[in-house]
Amino acid sequence: MTTRDLVLAALFAAIIVVLGLLPPIPVGFIPVPIHAQSLGVMLAGVVLGAKRGTVAVLIFLLLAAIGLPVLSGGRGGLGVFMAPPAGYLVGFVFAAFVTGWISERVIKREQSGLGQIASFFVAAVIGGILVDHLIGVLWLAYGPTNLGLANAFLGTLAFVPGDIVKAVVAALAGRAVMVGYPLLPARA
Amino acid sequence: MQIHFEQAGASFEGRVAVEPLTLSLTERRIGIIGLNGSGKTTFARMINGLVKPTQGRVTVDGFDSASDGETVRAKVGFIFQNPQNQIILPILHEDIALGLKNRRLPRHAVDAAVDGILRRFGIERLSGRRVHELSGGELQLAALASVLVTEPEVVILDEPTNQLDLRNRALVEKTVHGLDEMAIVISHDLDLIRDFDRVLLFHEGRLAADDAPSQVIARYRELAA
Amino acid sequence: MNTLYVTGNSLLHRLSARAKLIALAATGIALIVLASPLLLGISTLAALALYASVGIGWRQSWLRLRPVFVTIFVVAIFALLVNSPEEAAVTLLRLTTLVLLAAAVTATTGIGEFVDEITLAARPLERLGLVRASDIGLAVGLVIRFVPEVLGRYQAIRDAHEARGLKARPLTLAVPLIILTLKNADDIAAAIDARGIRGHKPARRSKER
Repeated sequence: MTTRDLVLAALFAAIIVVLGLLPPIPVGFIPVPIHAQSLGVMLAGVVLGAKRGTVAVLIFLLLAAIGLPVLSGGRGGLGVFMAPPAGYLVGFVFAAFVTGWISERVIKREQSGLGQIASFFVAAVIGGILVDHLIGVLWLAYGPTNLGLANAFLGTLAFVPGDIVKAVVAALAGRAVMVGYPLLPARA
Repeated sequence: MQIHFEQAGASFEGRVAVEPLTLSLTERRIGIIGLNGSGKTTFARMINGLVKPTQGRVTVDGFDSASDGETVRAKVGFIFQNPQNQIILPILHEDIALGLKNRRLPRHAVDAAVDGILRRFGIERLSGRRVHELSGGELQLAALASVLVTEPEVVILDEPTNQLDLRNRALVEKTVHGLDEMAIVISHDLDLIRDFDRVLLFHEGRLAADDAPSQVIARYRELAA
Repeated sequence: MNTLYVTGNSLLHRLSARAKLIALAATGIALIVLASPLLLGISTLAALALYASVGIGWRQSWLRLRPVFVTIFVVAIFALLVNSPEEAAVTLLRLTTLVLLAAAVTATTGIGEFVDEITLAARPLERLGLVRASDIGLAVGLVIRFVPEVLGRYQAIRDAHEARGLKARPLTLAVPLIILTLKNADDIAAAIDARGIRGHKPARRSKER
């Protein structure tokens, strides 16, 4: 990893922290207000790609684990990694990786703007929603919470609509950042 | 200390930033002036290998800045235009100690070096402060301290008085004049370099003048008009 | 940024970070295996006593633990509705114990201790060429250093929206925030390389320019 890659990942971790400090944003048609922090995880993937995006999220979670109150709502410490939603938190790492991995491979410079946004959206949905919820559900079902797969699956559904809104924002932002300051490593 | 450019030039993506030039820098105080985008900063970054020449070579005391960058950077300290981005740890004394980490010094030696450098710039009271709370002038002095603590033989300062108020500008000017080290200063602040030993003028990527300050400043005024 | 560390001289404060982390992991595994409400109840009381010994104070504890306990109660009620009361009690007690113990470790271990321990743990990975162990502490420091600046930038962008009569939306806030922040990466990386902070093998930056 070059020094620049390390710094980009650390700066993005700082952005994810700041997004968590913001009050949740209510969105008209969804009951649960949206926390910007998991948006930050999707953004790490679409903006920085797989490797640097994953490192950004790892640094962010490391800060939380060692006792800095960087998670939304000022949470932090090892306790949050034991709590019921811990799977979603650890899932962030894989979410950023998969989002970035797909982004690097499907987004092309010569694509139309709309095509790029659609590609980023697919990457954010698969990585940021499917992968993250999968790990979150597995932890709820078989971790210390031991809720059972069917119940855990039911619980996770409530958060999917909000996450889809985030995926849309991440896709639009991913494309806008790529136009303004391209960082995504291009792959054939 | 001798810095030597040997037909060294740099271009990025087909655009020439610094045209190949040959010169030696040995004077204690050297100023670099020129319009924005004239190649000053690229030239300065070539000295310590942050920008590698795309042709020719740059040596510092015989060490090639491209292939032996680490040795060269230990001899040549660099203070960037925006001190904000140069200080990378949250507490000032932690940041200054960071530069010494690779030397594997015992703890008390590191602490002594940090205290010493802070005292040298009269900012020992800032030691435990959070970096993001420092003022512009304090940040500039802190950046200088973070670089000089590793005892480089030359320091390059990129527009050290940029964005400072009148009092801080005077403070930084005084500090620059008082440095024991050889100093190469990029500046739009012509007062700062007026009594330097030598001034280089860059214009459109070319070395347009290289002489005593008064002559070079006069030429600069012609070019800028 | 304030940390969740609490100064003190309790037993937990005096134990090494490594001992606490190993003990926490071992207890975690034991608690997952344990399924008797009675034994779990006893361990919850023990965890509560340990947590109280740290000296965090009621108010501070309430602030810290409330969000996590809310999720635990939600899950316990859910378990009560769909599973048996016994299973709900097991879930509640097990999670409460784990969270109390983990919070006690967090409150008694400083950031520096954690970073040192993680750096040490990463040395074997360094030999495999996967990470540079010293980068971990550097990255942690960088984030703590730049969070206040990113926050300041966020506020400036929000003010700019207001000054121009624009509604602040996640998209129009996030995009300039990301671009303005990441644009500093080149400068910061150059400063790190110029100061020789990462030691050997200077980064291959110029190739990427």
